[in-house]
Amino acid sequence: MKILLAEDDFATRKFMDKQLSQYGECDVMVDGEEAVDAFMMALEDNEPYDLVCLDVMMPVMDGYQVLKAIRGIEAQKGISKKNSVKVIMTTALNDERNVKLAFELGCEAYVGKPIDVEKFEKVLNKLGLI
Amino acid sequence: MAEDFNTDSMFSMFLFESSQLLEKLEGIILEKQDADCFDDADINEIFRCMHTIKGSAGVMMYDNIMKASHKLEDVFYYLRESHPEDVPHMELVEKVLAVSDFITGELDKLRNGETADGDESKLVEDLDEFLSRIKGEIKKQGIRLPKANKQEEPTQFYVKPVAEDDSHFYKIVIHYRNDTQMSNIRAYSATYALKEVAEDLLYTPEDILSNEASGDVILAEGFHMLLQTKISKEEVLELIDSSEAEKIDFDEITSDEYGKELVNLGREPAPQIVINLEDGVKPAKDDKPAPGDYVVKSKDPGKGKTLAKNQPKQQSIISVNVEKMDALMDLIGELVIAEATVLQNPDLKVPGLDLTNFQKAASELATNTTELQQVIMSMRMMPLTNTFQKMKRIVFDVSRKLDKDVEFEVIGENTEVDKNIIEHISDPLMHLVRNSVDHGIEEDPNERTMLGKPAKGKITLEAKNEGGKVYISVRDDGKGLNAEKLYEKALDKGLIDKPMSDYTEKEIFRFVTLPGFSTKEQVTEYSGRGVGMDVVVKNIQAIGGRLDIDSTLGGGSEMTLVIPLTLAIINGIVVQVGNSPFVLETSSIKQFVRMTQDSLVQEPSGEEYVVLRGEYYPFIRLNEKYELPDSCCNVDDGIVVVLEHEGKQICVLIDKLLQQQEIVVKPIPSYIKKVRGLSGCTQLGDGSIALILDIAGLIQDEERR
Amino acid sequence: MEELKEGLQEQEADAQKGKFMTFQAGKEFFGISISYVKQIIAMQPITVVPEVEDYIKGLINLRGKIIPVIDVRVRFKMEPKEYTDRTCIIVIDVKSTVVGLIVEKIAQVDTIMDDDIVPPPTLGRKDNEQNKYVYGLAKTEDSVKLLIDPEKLIKQEVLEALEELQEEEQE
Repeated sequence: MKILLAEDDFATRKFMDKQLSQYGECDVMVDGEEAVDAFMMALEDNEPYDLVCLDVMMPVMDGYQVLKAIRGIEAQKGISKKNSVKVIMTTALNDERNVKLAFELGCEAYVGKPIDVEKFEKVLNKLGLI
Repeated sequence: MAEDFNTDSMFSMFLFESSQLLEKLEGIILEKQDADCFDDADINEIFRCMHTIKGSAGVMMYDNIMKASHKLEDVFYYLRESHPEDVPHMELVEKVLAVSDFITGELDKLRNGETADGDESKLVEDLDEFLSRIKGEIKKQGIRLPKANKQEEPTQFYVKPVAEDDSHFYKIVIHYRNDTQMSNIRAYSATYALKEVAEDLLYTPEDILSNEASGDVILAEGFHMLLQTKISKEEVLELIDSSEAEKIDFDEITSDEYGKELVNLGREPAPQIVINLEDGVKPAKDDKPAPGDYVVKSKDPGKGKTLAKNQPKQQSIISVNVEKMDALMDLIGELVIAEATVLQNPDLKVPGLDLTNFQKAASELATNTTELQQVIMSMRMMPLTNTFQKMKRIVFDVSRKLDKDVEFEVIGENTEVDKNIIEHISDPLMHLVRNSVDHGIEEDPNERTMLGKPAKGKITLEAKNEGGKVYISVRDDGKGLNAEKLYEKALDKGLIDKPMSDYTEKEIFRFVTLPGFSTKEQVTEYSGRGVGMDVVVKNIQAIGGRLDIDSTLGGGSEMTLVIPLTLAIINGIVVQVGNSPFVLETSSIKQFVRMTQDSLVQEPSGEEYVVLRGEYYPFIRLNEKYELPDSCCNVDDGIVVVLEHEGKQICVLIDKLLQQQEIVVKPIPSYIKKVRGLSGCTQLGDGSIALILDIAGLIQDEERR
Repeated sequence: MEELKEGLQEQEADAQKGKFMTFQAGKEFFGISISYVKQIIAMQPITVVPEVEDYIKGLINLRGKIIPVIDVRVRFKMEPKEYTDRTCIIVIDVKSTVVGLIVEKIAQVDTIMDDDIVPPPTLGRKDNEQNKYVYGLAKTEDSVKLLIDPEKLIKQEVLEALEELQEEEQE
């Protein structure tokens, strides 16, 4: 499985990288813009990501903007819903409105920090990734 | 309380909404329990409730709740589409309640921080069986079966963060020896070592790598760190290289203190943790988050994240810290006392002073304080509706289980009561209501009709606010208490030893509250520990209340909880007996009379009575009753106050009338055992303490004689 | 590293352990751990509450809070003494119950090491009421101090009886 991780906080980044590397190859970015660039590049190289894990609070572009951009790119390229990348937002913001916005913009899961690793795996399972 | 504290509004929203839906559901069920069947509106409503709960449980990944609600939704889908006749109503009602109870149980577990691990399979199996019967009925009635209720798996999920209980907050200061070289590099290696384990790490000075001069700052002031991590202090110390360190100040602090330290270090604190006073969280309509709101300024070393857009905190919910509410309550009480100090100040008692302007201003002040007091009290008041709703369910359950036909009436459910009190009376009320159905209402309806009572039993739950107290009574028109049997039972159990004639009827009724009187009752609810009425009474006394018991054999019983409001401000008259001031509630005073010795009648037993307008009233000399020295013993010199409570009157002898004022009722410290005839105490304007007389208690005391 | 750890431990050590507020009642000196002591105040007017135990003298107003006060001499079943200007009230907080102790004379705050505390003699005058409340004896250079367990001191016989009854119920 190919995974794209965007997280600007050093400690969380290390933690998530370690977690996600168990499931597949993990590319790590530190700001929103880089994340979009990486996503685009992977698509053009015909080696698209299966899963994108996004922090919400990031420099240059925030997680919502990245999510919006990703869905926009997919729409432009005519990628069907079935084939679109699965996006999981990870963040400490747990307000209901934040979650609703994320769902509206089209992510598959919203995971609050600190991350419940067991439930996180359950989600990956439900999404058919592992 | 655990449920008041929530940093995760997605989760609390889920709990709140689901609970609300279930309550609505129960409401429909109980309303229609006696009907033949549900009407279309009901079926739709129930379907919608289950559908919503199924959806949100799916997002939150609570599979058992999802499956249970899904199954019930299915049942109602078929009912809605096919309208079969002769649906077994009672059975359906029970199934709905079973699902509701299961889900409520799981929600409670989640509320308490436990996992929702209940097994829904039996419930689902049961419903499946019921559903296939319904489908069979539909086919038999020649109705077409609707298309299957297509279910889509949820596609979006929310994972609640794990509780941060095991995070530690540390405040660390490393002091290096004055001759230490490159202390800034050493500091950096300390921070680097901690980054692996840190949930949050902030330090000052920040520019340890980029600025060599920071080393001097470190030597002079020490290197300060704020660390949030799960590991222990020892583990942290191991990670920090301290071989050149002269001293390490290491403190574990609370998350609140951590937040304050962040402010001290000049950083922005993390979003506030908010405690809601009202149940449930209502988000504001405005201030919706939008993409781009969360871009952060590039992260500087040692700094916390700061949003580029200077966003005010996300909270548009106004919630109030419970402790602040309590403080506010205390303050208004103090304010009333302070007001009295001003209005009754001895400095004002100079003769000849023209106080007209002062009186006008004082009156304004009094009006404002009273209003303020009322508003503050109302902030803490909540209606009893929810508690009473629960009782409806209990009557339903118990009467079904015992096969008794009972009508349940609720009066005054909108009566508002302090939030504190609601939490404490729920269990006692449940017990009383259960008792009424169980022991009060006769098993055999014939027993009732023979006495001219309707075959259907009636239980009334009534609440009212009066004179700074809340009265909640549970009334049944059943068997009533049998004094003889009660006496014998108590005697048998060795709880009393005097002959029956030594006790009044009311006292015998109170035997049911003696510890050990009723063993084995409802062991399930209170699981074994001294069950029964004695626990009810203890719980009520814990909030300063009492339980009154009244009954007529064959007519029924009435149990009344009398609870003082947490902040009671009453209008009272301060009187003096000997050197002690006492307070009489103005509303209980009928009149003041001066009397002479000849109006007194003395019984051989020593009791005294007073004759007023041809009637005899019990006469109490407070100075003797309470052994107060320095009081005038002469009726001629003192004043007699005629007091009344619920139609009964007594006369009390006092020395002097002092003044009328607003009284803040404070409980007598619980350390002091309850004294009959006293309901509390207060501080007067001059700082002295006055005891408040409890008229009902005094009257009860007299009746004992 | 070792010295650092020791240093830290000392800092952590409960600063209050080993300090006792001592006072005089009759001929003896008594001590209460100052972790229980909230305040010491001068004697104040007391509002008598009727129908209470003899050692409960009544209520006082402590800056807005109404607190019950008990007379230590009476509690120890000694002859009550007239209150003088030496008489003080030690306000203690025992598991959230706040009570004032009326003592005839305050002594001082003593530091008593655990090693200097010996258990009270079990033999002795049975009728010596105060032994019920004393859990240890501390020898200092000049005197012996009887260390009191505040929970026992303020606990009322009625409560004790009730608890016994409840314990029986459970068996």
